[in-house]
Amino acid sequence: MRKMLAVLKREYLAAVRKKMFIVMTVLFPVLMSAAMLLPGLMVARGLGEKKVAVLDGTGKLQSAFTRTIAPVVPDPKKALRGRSRGELPQTIKAEYVAGTDVKPYLERLNADRNASNRLDGVFIIPADAIDGADAKMTFYSRSSTDVITQERLGSIANRAVQRLRLSGRGIDPNTVDALTRDIPTDAVQLSRSGEQKKGGELNLILGFLFAALLLIPSFIYGLEIMRGIIQEKNDRVVEVLVSSMSPRQLLTGKILGVALVGLTQVTAWMVMLSAVGAYAGTVASLAGINVTQFLRPMVFVYFFVFFVLAYLTYVCIYAVAGAVCNSEKEAQQLIAPISMLMMLPWFLMFAIITNPDSGLAIGFSLSPVFGPLTMFVRALVSEPPLAHLAISIAVSIATICAFFWVTAKIFRVGILSYGKRPTLGELWQWLKVA
Amino acid sequence: MSVVLAVRDVVKTFGAVRAVDGVSFSVRRGTITGLLGRNGAGKTTTIRMITGIFLPDSGTIEWAGGVGGGDARDRIGYLPEERGLYKQMKVVELLQFLAEIKGRRGAGVVKDIDKWLQRFELGEKRDAKVEELSKGNQQKVQLIGTLLHDPELIILDEPQSGLDPVNMVIVRDLLRELKEEGRTILLSTHMMGEAERMADDIVLIHRGKVVLDGSLEQVKESFGKNTLHIDYEGDGDFLGTLPDVCRASIVNNAAELSLSEGADPQKILQASVGRLRIRKFEVAAPSLEEIFIEKVGHETLEVVR
Repeated sequence: MRKMLAVLKREYLAAVRKKMFIVMTVLFPVLMSAAMLLPGLMVARGLGEKKVAVLDGTGKLQSAFTRTIAPVVPDPKKALRGRSRGELPQTIKAEYVAGTDVKPYLERLNADRNASNRLDGVFIIPADAIDGADAKMTFYSRSSTDVITQERLGSIANRAVQRLRLSGRGIDPNTVDALTRDIPTDAVQLSRSGEQKKGGELNLILGFLFAALLLIPSFIYGLEIMRGIIQEKNDRVVEVLVSSMSPRQLLTGKILGVALVGLTQVTAWMVMLSAVGAYAGTVASLAGINVTQFLRPMVFVYFFVFFVLAYLTYVCIYAVAGAVCNSEKEAQQLIAPISMLMMLPWFLMFAIITNPDSGLAIGFSLSPVFGPLTMFVRALVSEPPLAHLAISIAVSIATICAFFWVTAKIFRVGILSYGKRPTLGELWQWLKVA
Repeated sequence: MSVVLAVRDVVKTFGAVRAVDGVSFSVRRGTITGLLGRNGAGKTTTIRMITGIFLPDSGTIEWAGGVGGGDARDRIGYLPEERGLYKQMKVVELLQFLAEIKGRRGAGVVKDIDKWLQRFELGEKRDAKVEELSKGNQQKVQLIGTLLHDPELIILDEPQSGLDPVNMVIVRDLLRELKEEGRTILLSTHMMGEAERMADDIVLIHRGKVVLDGSLEQVKESFGKNTLHIDYEGDGDFLGTLPDVCRASIVNNAAELSLSEGADPQKILQASVGRLRIRKFEVAAPSLEEIFIEKVGHETLEVVR
């Protein structure tokens, strides 16, 4: 026990004193908040100006494009509700031309970067836009991903065309706007306990945020423990260690030490994030969204439980990789496909968050390895039955025990094997013999 | 003297290789036992089994220090052949850690660490990081780590490799001192000169088997007094070509000649007198190095052929 504690203490101090730990502790929340606040900042600042030539084959839509299309007024309420999509704050400077001669404008699209007449896009409205059944507008740009500009120009043109069509049928253009007004949709979640939650889009962001908080430390410190084991092998420290204690003591000390490091870091992050969150929460409540309805105290309990479970699962896997490999490069190659597999719930996160009670989400949340992350996200965005929570936790604990047992055995043999990486068959032998 | 460590018929196989093939020997309390052999002979594997890193496939290892409860490993001090230290740690912290994993802690440890560091002229390196130390100094730090917990049995795998002559003397004196304190030392080395200077008993391992075993005196005596040690001035290369000389090693005006059965050393002396200034002429038992080469050298040649 004392020896295990000695290893734990050493691992903890060694990791916490590293520059990487300090950098990660400070930088990660900054990056996270940046990711959260960036859309808001973009609303405030705008994305700059786009110069677009609008070639109007109909020659009748000039009024829609003559004025500069100004950035949408920043509205924190809308931004927080995620409704800023499609109306991003970008000034579009449209150069209106009645005609169909595209060529000179396409040339200007690829003009020299500094040329004053360089265009960012060319938008073409065909002559039969108003009456033709198969009419199609075309948007040329240097990057086909400039969807935002495309959407905005498209909707402006469509609206203008609609006005023309309707006024062609004798409807007063001024009443057209009123008639074609869009009605916004609000998301309201009706939970099992009957309470209503507004602003469901925020749940999506929170889900991703907490999933990242749960996953990233596991991977970082999993890698760290793998690297540590390989380094101990390369530095031959391990021989002194295993001649002084059992591999199980050594492994326990190591994993718990690194687990403590992860917890320290996550605690630091939580403190920092709650400071940012307090600010964001104030803004949000100004916008009429009660943030505390998503961040119930239980969320933090769940986070702690599932963080520890996920962490220990991943760290064990990485420890085995470290024990069977001789160089970091080799270990990276071995672990890359495995970690992709472990990340599976992350790749399906959108589906899980949006459908937390689907068969997919339930299946993942009750399975080993994927369980902790998926179950936590389910618990965050919905109210899963207690039985599911209990099964998930039990499965995870069993998984960790099994992994730990296997790891300790492989560790004992693998840690001193300096030769080539063992094959699966040899690993099986190790399990039986050691 | 009582036996503290008994290795009986120990076998360890790695894949198709029998690294240790039925090794048996015993170590007497308060002696220095030299575990000799070429690289790859099976010394390190044998030691790893004694220290509990590997379990033998068959055979037993009995360590009398196991009595008294607690972890028997804590009464063994082990200096591995491949030195290993945490390079990022401070010397004093590392040594505290090494003492701790051997079950020793408390205020006395730091005091002892300082004492040892002084002795090895490492006092001012106390708070330096291990990676800032020279290789020789790192080795001394590891040796201190081996001894901090006051072990009864000290197992040293090539303790002097990589040390300069001054440090070699320091280590040699230290080992003698440890022996005088009643500790038992198992010294694995391929430096025959060192083994000859220090060991009471020797165990010669070759290809996983013990080929020679006993006290140094006995072993040397069994090889008879048919070796000539000559120190001289002049060109002594001809000594190796004289009749009755089976093997000669001639280095820097000193020759060690193995004579054939029944040869008369006087004839060699007569042949030399006119051609060399003789400073020393001694008929003695062969050196351990000679014995070593005789025991394991021939076989190597056969393998090469």
